[in-house]
Amino acid sequence: MIKERWKLALLLVAAATVLAGGIVYAQMRSGSYGSRNGESIAREAAPEFGVDGKYDAGSYPSFTPELAEGDGKQEAQSFCATCHSTRYIVMQPPLPAATWEAEVIKMIKTYGAPIPEATAKKITAYLQAHYTPENRKQ
Amino acid sequence: MERKTHSVSRRNALKFLGAAGSSLALANWTAGERALAHSTDGAKPLETFTGPGANPHWNSIGPYVVEPQKAPLILLTDRPVQLETPRHYFRTVFTPNQAFYVRWHLAEIPNAVDLAEWKLRVEGNVNKPMAFNLSDLLQKFQPASVAAVNQCSGNSRSRLQPRVPGGQWGNGAMGNAMWTGVRLRELLDAAGVKTGSLQVQFEGLDTGAGPKGFGSNRFMKSLDLTNTALDETVVAYLMNGEPLPILNGFPVRLVVPGYFATYWTKSLCCIRILEAPDDNFWMKTAYRIPDTPRGTTTPEDVKAGKVKTIPIERMPVRSFLISPDGSSKIPAGLGVTLGGIAFSGYGRVVKVEVSDDGGSHWKAAELGEDHGAYSFRSWQAAWTPKAPGKYVIATRATDEKGNVQPDEPVWNAGGYLWNRIEKQELVAGNANGGAQ
Repeated sequence: MIKERWKLALLLVAAATVLAGGIVYAQMRSGSYGSRNGESIAREAAPEFGVDGKYDAGSYPSFTPELAEGDGKQEAQSFCATCHSTRYIVMQPPLPAATWEAEVIKMIKTYGAPIPEATAKKITAYLQAHYTPENRKQ
Repeated sequence: MERKTHSVSRRNALKFLGAAGSSLALANWTAGERALAHSTDGAKPLETFTGPGANPHWNSIGPYVVEPQKAPLILLTDRPVQLETPRHYFRTVFTPNQAFYVRWHLAEIPNAVDLAEWKLRVEGNVNKPMAFNLSDLLQKFQPASVAAVNQCSGNSRSRLQPRVPGGQWGNGAMGNAMWTGVRLRELLDAAGVKTGSLQVQFEGLDTGAGPKGFGSNRFMKSLDLTNTALDETVVAYLMNGEPLPILNGFPVRLVVPGYFATYWTKSLCCIRILEAPDDNFWMKTAYRIPDTPRGTTTPEDVKAGKVKTIPIERMPVRSFLISPDGSSKIPAGLGVTLGGIAFSGYGRVVKVEVSDDGGSHWKAAELGEDHGAYSFRSWQAAWTPKAPGKYVIATRATDEKGNVQPDEPVWNAGGYLWNRIEKQELVAGNANGGAQ
């Protein structure tokens, strides 16, 4: 008799545990971590200062993007980067071919960029081949 | 590599038992929803570019980067430096210096300034050309403070349709600070502006690699001497009570309350009195808006040469929902506080209204402390999503001149003056096991 009561009690405990486990399972999830490594940004130590009049913030870091591979990439990189980083290119939304042509003309005529005509044409064609709504890739 | 999805260890389950009790109602949470709950692996990175449609995000889409004296900010360009302030920094009325957006035009921007050498010159058509060092500015003039919003003319440019070239800012090319410095008029008086003078020109320490005489070589901005904005203009050496970060214009920058930031010359070194209108590129060609209501036009009219332009000046009225930002769900029935900021370059914000149905019905929000006509004004409104669903929160500000934010877009070739009513979708989820 006592043995059977024990069995029944054990069975009840086991059933309760399974039921409770099921409820918890449905209520929450924990212990799940992604396999992907997160991005991180390194921190820097505080600088040391002299008491002179010089206020120096150090150099500004470069974040040079990968331009699309293709004919004219070299020209775009070297001529455009005279005045600004090529991030100016990749920051733009996809622009129609005519807008890219106008941009290159603007750089030469309005901003005085010394780009030979043949090179300018090559740069325009490069931008039009990779950075328009029809052909730009994420 | 096996990806763990929703494993709950027995130990954790038992540990949790006591706390959770046995509320069977919650057991209806489906496996599908559970998988959505923490999807670190499934996290979707932002696009690398947006367009040709409008940028759908509050901020621009660049990565976070760390520049000198700055918290991680959103990168637009690295040379010259252009950085955008992330949305959450606008939870406070004053934008922290470390998080304040950055926009330079020319690549040769100062990395260091030697205050033993540095001088602020007041020259040109004056009786007595002056050269002040920082100590002169601190000691010879009564300090003046003003809370004022600095907003890039092209803030929100990535909203325009069709898209226009230029810095593809989201909404974070703005910030509000308490600026302290010397009143510009006092500096001009010290030098003595000669009669017959027309404009005052400002130039900073930045230069560019372009040839002389081009906008790619020097950046200069001018205002008419009769402009009343000059009466409120300050040459600031303090920003929120601290020296300016060099990327925001150390040692002094111009503060023109109400005006777009193009006039707020950074690392100001030269104040020049002109007898003739300034016809340098940055006045004559750049930073010009169509002379139309709201400065809006069409690509067709631009192409047809129909658009007469004028220099950009004051900032139209705007408002933003900052929190909640839509990055998480809100349980239906749980009251939250909608909060944000508003401002206008034409005077103080007197009303902010909030809608939860995309702008069909409006309710007045409560305005926060008044820090002056040109400051951000905080606002808040209690809101409870009654049922699960998607809600479109819209905000609309009115300034003391009666200017009200419209729901129509703006388009001009420069991508300036965007001030359309902002909308944010918020999702309310089930809080009661499906019963409503």
